[in-house]
Amino acid sequence: MRVALAEDGTLFREGLLMLLRAVGHQVVCSAADGDELVALLTTTPADVAILDIRMPPEPDGGLITAERLRAAHPDLGLLFLSHYAESHYLMRILEIGTESIGYRLKEKVGSVEVLTDTLNRIGNGEIVIEPVLAKRLVDRTRGDKKDVVAALSDREQEVLRLMAEGRSNNGIAGQLYITPKAVEKHIANIFVKLGLHIDTAAHHRRVLAVLTYLRSQRNQG
Amino acid sequence: MVSRFPHRTGDDVDEPVTEACRRTHQDRWRRRRLLQRQLHDGAALRISALTLRLGLLEHRAAPDGQAVQDCIGELQDELHAVLEELRDVAAQIYPPLLDEAGLGPALREVVATLQAPVAVVASEERFGAAAEGAAYFAVLQCLAAQPAGAPSMKVVVRRETDTLMLSVSGVDAFHAELIDDQVRPLGGIVEVITGSLPGASTVIARIPCE
Repeated sequence: MRVALAEDGTLFREGLLMLLRAVGHQVVCSAADGDELVALLTTTPADVAILDIRMPPEPDGGLITAERLRAAHPDLGLLFLSHYAESHYLMRILEIGTESIGYRLKEKVGSVEVLTDTLNRIGNGEIVIEPVLAKRLVDRTRGDKKDVVAALSDREQEVLRLMAEGRSNNGIAGQLYITPKAVEKHIANIFVKLGLHIDTAAHHRRVLAVLTYLRSQRNQG
Repeated sequence: MVSRFPHRTGDDVDEPVTEACRRTHQDRWRRRRLLQRQLHDGAALRISALTLRLGLLEHRAAPDGQAVQDCIGELQDELHAVLEELRDVAAQIYPPLLDEAGLGPALREVVATLQAPVAVVASEERFGAAAEGAAYFAVLQCLAAQPAGAPSMKVVVRRETDTLMLSVSGVDAFHAELIDDQVRPLGGIVEVITGSLPGASTVIARIPCE
C-alpha cells in the first residue's frame, strides 16, 4: 500500500516509517506537520494518509489536515493516531468521513497484526475504531440504555462491541468464528432490542447508528 | 434563598484574595497544563515509539519464532498498560481534552466515563488554563461528593464579559464549599441558591478569566 505519514514526534515518525517499510508498504512521503503533508500530496499519489491528531497546525492539526485531504483526494484513506482514545475525537472524525477512515491509539499500531488489519480495512472502505474506545462506549452506556445493553446476551454484546469497532459482518464472523449468516441474525436481534431501525445493508450508516446510540444520553439539557 | 458563599457572620469576614495570590494560582494552573503536555510529548511518545520497535522485532522473528512473537506481544500489552496509567495521571494533573478542546468536551467526556447522570450545557468558548482548570475540578469534586442514587445534575458554563460563569444545579448547599475551594484562589465568587429539598440547590461561581 502507498502510505503518507504526518507526525511531529520524530522518534515515533521514524519508528512507524521503519515498521511500515519492513512489512512491505511503500511510504511515499512523511512530514512533521499537516501543512507539509498536504503540499507533498498534491504531487504524490497515495492510498492512505496516517495523521497524528495533536500536531501542527495546533492544537489538533490532524483533523484540519484530514478535512483538507478529504476535499482534495476523496479516495484517500485516513488513519488518525492519537495518544488518547476519546469519544469527542471519534465524533469529530466521523464528521470528516464515514468511509475509509480509522482512529487508533499510537501504541496499538506497533503490533504488525493490528497495523495490517487496520490498513487493510481502511483500504476496503471500512471505518476502524480503536477497540479500547469501542469497549468503553459499550460498557459505559448510561440511563435507560445501560439496562437495554445489559439485557443483551453475551454473544450479542460481543457482536455490538465489534460493530462499534466498525467491523463488517464478515469481519465480525471471522473474529467470533461463526458464519456471516449467524452474525446477521445477531445484528437483527440487537437492532430490535435497541429500538434502532436502520438500513443494515449500508455498513457505515449502521456503524454510525450504533455509535450515536451508545454515546447519546437521554434528557440531555 | 440566594446567599453569597461563605456566609459572613460577625467578625468572621473573609479577606479578599490579593492580586499576588491570584497570579500565583494562575501560574500553578499553567504549570499543571505544561506538566501534562510534557508527559504526552516526552515519556508517552517514547513508550509508543518503543512498541513500534518491538513490532519490527516481531516481524523479523517471523516465521519460525512463535515463542518470541508471543513474548513480544506480551511486552506490547504491558506497555499499553503503562501508558494507560500515565493517561490516568495526566487526567488528574490537567485533562488533555480540557487543554485541547475546552470545558464542554472535557466535562461531557468525564461524565460519560463516570456514567454520572449529568447534563452539560457549554459552548466551545475558551477561558484560559486557570479558569477552565478550576471550573473543571470544581465540577469533578461535586460529582465525587454526590450521594449514590442522587438525581441528575445540570452544569452550565457561559461567558459573562471577563468572567467564566459556572452554574451547578441539582446539588446540596454544602457543594458550594467544594466549588469555593477551587475558584476562590483565582478571585472567584460563589453564590448559593438554596432549594427547599435536599439536592435542589444551585451553586453559581464567577471566575475571572482570559
